[in-house]
Amino acid sequence: MPTTFFGWVGFLLQQYGGLFFSGTCTTLLIALSGTFFGFIIGLLVAIVRTIEIPRGMGLFKRGLRKLAHMLIAVYIQVFRGTPMIVQAMVIYYGSMQYLGIDMDHTMAAILIISINTGAYMAEIIRGGIVSIDKGQFEAAHAIGMTHWQTMTSVVLPQAIRNILPSVGNELIVNIKDSSVLNVISVSELFFQAKSAAGTYFKYFEVYFIIACIYFVLTVTVSRILRFVEKKMDGPDSYVICGSQSDSRAEIVISKEQEKEVDRQWQSK
Amino acid sequence: MAEQVISIRNLTKAFGSNQVLRGIDFDANKGEVVCIIGSSGSGKSTLLRCINLLENPDGGQILYHGRDILTDESVSMPKYHAKVGMVFQQFNLFGNMNVLENCVAGQMKVLGRSHAESEKNALKYLEKVGMAEYRNAKPRQLSGGQKQRVVIARTLAMDPEVILFDEPTSALDPEMVGEVLSVMQNLAQEGMTMLVVTHEMGFARAVATQVVFMDQGVIAEQGAPDEVLGNPKHERLKSFLRSML
Ligand SMILES: Nc1ncnc2c1ncn2[C@@H]1O[C@H](COP(=O)(O)OP(=O)(O)OP(=O)(O)O)[C@@H](O)[C@H]1O
Ligand SMILES: [Mg+2]
Repeated sequence: MPTTFFGWVGFLLQQYGGLFFSGTCTTLLIALSGTFFGFIIGLLVAIVRTIEIPRGMGLFKRGLRKLAHMLIAVYIQVFRGTPMIVQAMVIYYGSMQYLGIDMDHTMAAILIISINTGAYMAEIIRGGIVSIDKGQFEAAHAIGMTHWQTMTSVVLPQAIRNILPSVGNELIVNIKDSSVLNVISVSELFFQAKSAAGTYFKYFEVYFIIACIYFVLTVTVSRILRFVEKKMDGPDSYVICGSQSDSRAEIVISKEQEKEVDRQWQSK
Repeated sequence: MAEQVISIRNLTKAFGSNQVLRGIDFDANKGEVVCIIGSSGSGKSTLLRCINLLENPDGGQILYHGRDILTDESVSMPKYHAKVGMVFQQFNLFGNMNVLENCVAGQMKVLGRSHAESEKNALKYLEKVGMAEYRNAKPRQLSGGQKQRVVIARTLAMDPEVILFDEPTSALDPEMVGEVLSVMQNLAQEGMTMLVVTHEMGFARAVATQVVFMDQGVIAEQGAPDEVLGNPKHERLKSFLRSML
């Protein structure tokens, strides 16, 4: 048996490396798919909430819309107002005891994280949509686009770019908070660590290892997201096409040049 | 008799207890340029927004070639919107698209044109407003006057029959007002039907076929530009014109 701290870390890694690896994969799977489906839920909810009543909409449709808004409000309140660990218990055991559904643990975990994330995403995406100047909605409607076309081709691309940092934040939160789902016995990283730690009573060493793994995961993800944001902003320059037919007659204007011109003007 | 494109009959609109339009009537014939003037808050924007159904009027009729778009189910809304374009004070270019894409999106989505055809059409109108060179630029890289010219090209690309302009030059620096007005003047000469809310009295005098003076939700005076601007009868119109000098 090892005697030093690092000796134990090495030993445990050797012994349980495979377990930690599969736990990490499960954690990533749950966090990524939970964030993805949560995003989809949030998107749908946000689109429904922005629909305005068009001219001559019937009483029935109005009622339906009102009902939808009410359900959405309840959903958001409930899932933001209770801890995910409790939601997990309620949904998992509730569906088992009363609906007779014995869910696969991983599926159950993804379901719970998705619904929970959806409640937060709905608010984030709504914020993103509201941040787009109302004039762009009006301009799109004024050229005859439907609400759906306006949303998908004008508003959401901009809204999503604006909220990307918050979405990334949700993903990072999900990587960390998926650990609470060990209560429904999902074999994610924390759950695997628990069983590994128990065997040799080496709690500190095991949790030190998985702390490092969580840290590496979150840092890597935030780096990747920042890179994606930069990519999405596109080049800072544009090309002036001097002639429609002659593509050589081009002048590239970059942000730098524009700033230079601004400086020259200001110093005058 | 000239062909009526847009006719407004007894149009009313209130925001809560604020009665903004109190019964508006006028006709815009084919090829006419109707300039709508009036002091701030008199309901000019609301009128245009009602015509374009960005606001729901409370009562009255908006006749498009004699058919009431508020009640006649046979008028297709996307088609009506394509036929009645609108240019706003605040430009409202789509921020996620470059200049060319701005002019292409509506043609493809609303009119169902092919990409190639839309692009060809878009470039034709960008050329016309002098913005074809900037087809790859993003809206944030353009000046106000350039943005407004692109908006006009985007509107024209939908092959509209009428264009509504709501103070298209009010948000522009003085040196850019001219470039936009001259584009509009060209359109008028080519016979485009236009309803223009403007504070540019020079433009109204030179280009309008009809001037409408709105005051507190009604049309207080209306007629040929020489008459309305040169020989105002209403006291409020006189003081309004004095304040414009
Ligand atoms: N969405 C709205 N909700 C409530 N009140 C509104 C709304 N839009 C306009 N109003 C009110 O209607 C009145 C007329 O506004 P409108 O914008 O039509 O005036 P305008 O003639 O275009 O003025 P301006 O020259 O300043 O643009 C104003 O009193 C305004 O406060
Ligand atoms: Mg106005």
